[in-house]
Amino acid sequence: MAVRTFGAIDVGSFELILKIYEFSGKDHIREIDCIRRNVDLGSDTYAKGKIGSEKMDELCRTLHEFSEILKSYRVEAYKAYGTSAIREAQNSITILDQIRQRTGITIEVLSNSEQRFLGYKSVASKGEEFRRIIEQKTAVVEIGGGSIQLSLFDNDTLVSTQNLRLGVLRIQEQLHSLRAGNARLEEWIDELAMAQLSTYKKLYLKDREINNIIVIDDYVSPWMIHRAGGNPDRTVIGAEEFRSMVSSVRSTSARQNAAQMGVSEEKGALVFISAVLVGRIAQLMGAVNIWVPGVTLCDGIAYEYAEKIKMFRGEHDFERDIVACAKGISKRYMGSRKRAETLERIATTIFDSMKKVHGLGRRERLYLTLAAILHDCGKYISLVNIGETSYNIIMATEIIGLSHAEREMVANIVRFYHSKFVYYGQEGSSEIWADRETYLTVSKLTAILRLASSLDRSHKEKMKGLKAGMKDDELVLVADTMEDITLENRAFESAAEFFAEVFSLQPVLKQKKSF
Amino acid sequence: MAERTSKNGKKAAEDMINFKDPAYYTNRELSWLRFDHRVLAEARDKSIPLFERLKFLSITASNLDEFFMIRVASLKDMVNAGYEKRDISGMTPSEQLRELNTAIHELVDLQYSTFNRSLLPLLEKNGLSIVRRHEQLSDREAAYVDGYFEENVYPVLTPMAVDSSRPFPLIRNKSLNIGAMVRKKNGEDDLEFAMVQVPGVLSRVVTLPCEEGTRVILLEEIIERNIHKLFLNYDIVCAHPFRIMRNADLTIEEDEAADLLKEIEKQLKKRQWGEAIRLEVEEGIDRHLLKFIRRELHIEEQNIYAIDGPLDLTVCMKLYGLEGFSHLKAPAHEPAQVPGLTPGCDLFEQIRKGDILLHHPYQTFTPVVDFIRRAAVDPDVLAIKQTLYRVSGNSPIIAALAQAAENGKQVTVLVELKARFDEENNIVWARMLEKAGCHVIYGLVGLKTHSKITLVVRREEDGIRRYVHLGTGNYNDATAKLYTDIGLFTCAETIGEDATAVFNMLSGYSEPLFWNKLSLAPLWLKDRFLYLIEREIGYAREGCPATIIAKMNSLCDPDIIAALYRASAAGVRIELIVRGICCLKVGIPGVSENISVRSIVGSFLEHSRIFYFANNDHPEIYCSSADWMPRNLERRVEILFPVEDERLREELYDILQLQLADNVKASVLKPDGSYEKPDRRGRKRISSQEEFCIQARQKVMRTEENKGQSRVFIPEMHHDGE
Repeated sequence: MAVRTFGAIDVGSFELILKIYEFSGKDHIREIDCIRRNVDLGSDTYAKGKIGSEKMDELCRTLHEFSEILKSYRVEAYKAYGTSAIREAQNSITILDQIRQRTGITIEVLSNSEQRFLGYKSVASKGEEFRRIIEQKTAVVEIGGGSIQLSLFDNDTLVSTQNLRLGVLRIQEQLHSLRAGNARLEEWIDELAMAQLSTYKKLYLKDREINNIIVIDDYVSPWMIHRAGGNPDRTVIGAEEFRSMVSSVRSTSARQNAAQMGVSEEKGALVFISAVLVGRIAQLMGAVNIWVPGVTLCDGIAYEYAEKIKMFRGEHDFERDIVACAKGISKRYMGSRKRAETLERIATTIFDSMKKVHGLGRRERLYLTLAAILHDCGKYISLVNIGETSYNIIMATEIIGLSHAEREMVANIVRFYHSKFVYYGQEGSSEIWADRETYLTVSKLTAILRLASSLDRSHKEKMKGLKAGMKDDELVLVADTMEDITLENRAFESAAEFFAEVFSLQPVLKQKKSF
Repeated sequence: MAERTSKNGKKAAEDMINFKDPAYYTNRELSWLRFDHRVLAEARDKSIPLFERLKFLSITASNLDEFFMIRVASLKDMVNAGYEKRDISGMTPSEQLRELNTAIHELVDLQYSTFNRSLLPLLEKNGLSIVRRHEQLSDREAAYVDGYFEENVYPVLTPMAVDSSRPFPLIRNKSLNIGAMVRKKNGEDDLEFAMVQVPGVLSRVVTLPCEEGTRVILLEEIIERNIHKLFLNYDIVCAHPFRIMRNADLTIEEDEAADLLKEIEKQLKKRQWGEAIRLEVEEGIDRHLLKFIRRELHIEEQNIYAIDGPLDLTVCMKLYGLEGFSHLKAPAHEPAQVPGLTPGCDLFEQIRKGDILLHHPYQTFTPVVDFIRRAAVDPDVLAIKQTLYRVSGNSPIIAALAQAAENGKQVTVLVELKARFDEENNIVWARMLEKAGCHVIYGLVGLKTHSKITLVVRREEDGIRRYVHLGTGNYNDATAKLYTDIGLFTCAETIGEDATAVFNMLSGYSEPLFWNKLSLAPLWLKDRFLYLIEREIGYAREGCPATIIAKMNSLCDPDIIAALYRASAAGVRIELIVRGICCLKVGIPGVSENISVRSIVGSFLEHSRIFYFANNDHPEIYCSSADWMPRNLERRVEILFPVEDERLREELYDILQLQLADNVKASVLKPDGSYEKPDRRGRKRISSQEEFCIQARQKVMRTEENKGQSRVFIPEMHHDGE
């Protein structure tokens, strides 16, 4: 199989990284080059709200050099992603446009959850090691410039994920004026972080014991990798040993620390903040081991791209993580698990039977599943206004692996599952529909979900043996049940109206009684 | 238990010693002078062909010039600035200057006694006579030189007189001049000073017509004889040659210099006009003339050298270049081919078969040039990256790099502008490369890039492969014929990754998170060396045999020396081959009894740096661009690379062993700081450099013989235990 070269660019809060990868044969990703330059965009964004012209010039200069390097390796494709420093900058649109004009490089901005998802993909690219570690209760701690992300794995499935605005650059910005040695710094970091971390523990961790922590960051990781001398076996460290490592740099000079950590002095301070955070989180969770796989966002970008062009087949089932995450949310807001399962089963049965009509794919089927799982989360707030409250809950909760736009689709499916549908072009619709494509997808999935719901109107799971099939211009649903489905029939009729409108296809419900 | 107690006791005793005690160190400048003495000893060695001896004498002179311009100048700067910090041997700058002064005068005396008493009579006997003074010319010869003067010399001279309206002229650094006291023809006025520079554009050695043998006269004598023709309205009272040396230490305030290139050009101009720190005059110079020059140059008595003979003995190199006398010169050295790397072979394929070691100048440097040439035209090559420190005039490497850029390859070249005395040369190359489309990096702020590394990135069927050349010497095809150096070709992935990271760092990107194989100064190298020494100490303490063999040009880093002392005290056997400066002292009881130091000075300049660590019977051998000097370990970008191929490691070990066995060109350091030739009585004569020449030729012959036997099939055999 031909060898393909790919470039991944990470426009991070503190550093710009370009990695060149080579994909060869099945499942072989090789990193060829890693070019990093400190461009501290985060300090502009987090302190002033936007990226200033000086940083902008530096950014463009470096990206221009990156584009030359991409050319020199004759890469076939590249992906450039910006993270929180760009995402949160008020002038991000202008910045991105200028970068495109001046360097020819198109940067896509990742939402937090997309970014985190790539983070997981990068760890998952470690294959066997990742699988072995997440068999036990594991937390993935991803430390960024702007925020940190805490995600919990249970039985090798992701169960919850939370974002805390405790990024190292943000903390450094807050502590900047205090000018303290590391010993005092540690106390202040504690004060800043503990409030949020304790709340997190109360809400999400409860009594859950975590065995392992996987750290993904650009701060502690270099130190640990430096310490391990590139030996992967030495990247797992006991939590106790980690804490003593951190205390060993508490009272030494910034210069000594930087030398010990194998980073620049400027970065040494950030490494220390990140290390203190990791130490505290490990303590909070009662973790025994800390694994620093040394992966970066770029690795995730490469993994994703390789998967896309079918040069890599990952072993971990990320879809299952997304579903598990949605179930966690539903549970948190006391959604009915049984009802959700029934809804999901019926909805996907319908979806699968009419592929030729709706033209949607595997990803859209996932939206439908998620909408079914989350269909009633809003009732936790209000029983009257479930559509709106569900929408708001979904929009305010992160689902790792879904982009912002995707999450909004799921939220809208749930919203219009309950509320009156707002048509494209209708007054006020422009606030809801980003584009026609999204509108069409949401309307189709809403129609299916509504129809599915009508078949379980009584919430009594009467349709266990449901079969669906296309016949001429009808969708024939055969319910193999002995129960009385009068209520369902009524509900079906009203749901069928919207369904027919969306698909120009009449749904027909038939009862089959098997004696 | 008892053993442990005694071990602990020994360690405690070692811990009590202050290994940084100044008494354990030799001053580096004085040590350097001893090196120049060892070179001078070659000029005095009767077993060496006569003209080779001239060459060695010339080298001592040019060495001393450089030493003055850099080291003496910098000591003077320190004294002028009132800086009184003591060096590792406990001497203040003024104390050093004082001792140096005496030592240099002794050295110069010995240079000239060698020239006058040994070489001149021998030259005369062998048919080369040098007319010392123009007064000794025959009438016929006198007429010839006068004609020569008028035709060739006069047109390029710029005579200068000094009076109240004309200030004392600026005398160029290192230039040879003739100073004269003159008086107006009417005879009434006072004495005036006049001078003329002996033009560098003309050959300093002028051959006289003669029937038998060769007779020559030096240009300054011809000018002196005809000086009245330059100052027609004056009477020449006296005329004598003189030469000055100026402070030439090039210190650049890089933080303030927006454009390094311009700054260096500026400094180069300034170098001509630094403070005068040495004045050489002809012995017997007129008192008034000397007084005048001294006053104008503000030079102190002890810095004046009254010379009995031609000023600037680098003229000996010109004598060496005279036609004929080939029987008095060593036969020209022809570097041998490297087995496997015949001209026209596929170099990349050969490297893929296994690492290749090159030992220059015994083996040819051509494969290194070919490596770049080939890469420049190979369609699969994506990028070529190289560091250049000193390159030869008309360098084929530069031409190949420029061609590569024109062929659309990404070419990154770090041209070290700060390479001393080569700055001018380097600027020219740098500009030329830039024009051709190369990405040229003009060194790093605050650091000299001394490492020698080339990376060729090639896209092959199974993916990207990196070919790396690492060396101990510069990419200079001219000096590669004279300097002994080690080069390594490899395509090992670990080294390729490191090499990529080196160039990323040199291009201003962040350092890698870790290095696979290479160690770099100024960030990691010193720690690495200290670790390797410390590891041997650990083995010695456990009672395992521990050995360090290190070959380098200079040894003066106090931390490394202290570590070596500690190692010696712990029982590590340390054998050092240090060509030049060595601040370490041998034979100090309890401190350096296990250390031996030898210096090899031969017809090739010993330049390779090789480091062997026994590592408890798992020996490791490294090569490097760095000496064990603070400047290499702390202020330069240097690379240490391991040689891991078993076969090549043995080869390097053999090189070290042969040098340790040398009893012809080696001198051994004695506890009193002097160097002595080893006692050869009853032993076979071993000259390592001669031996390496023979070995290199034999290797080629063996390969050719093997080729001749290619009709014989050699079956692969299974050996038990493999």
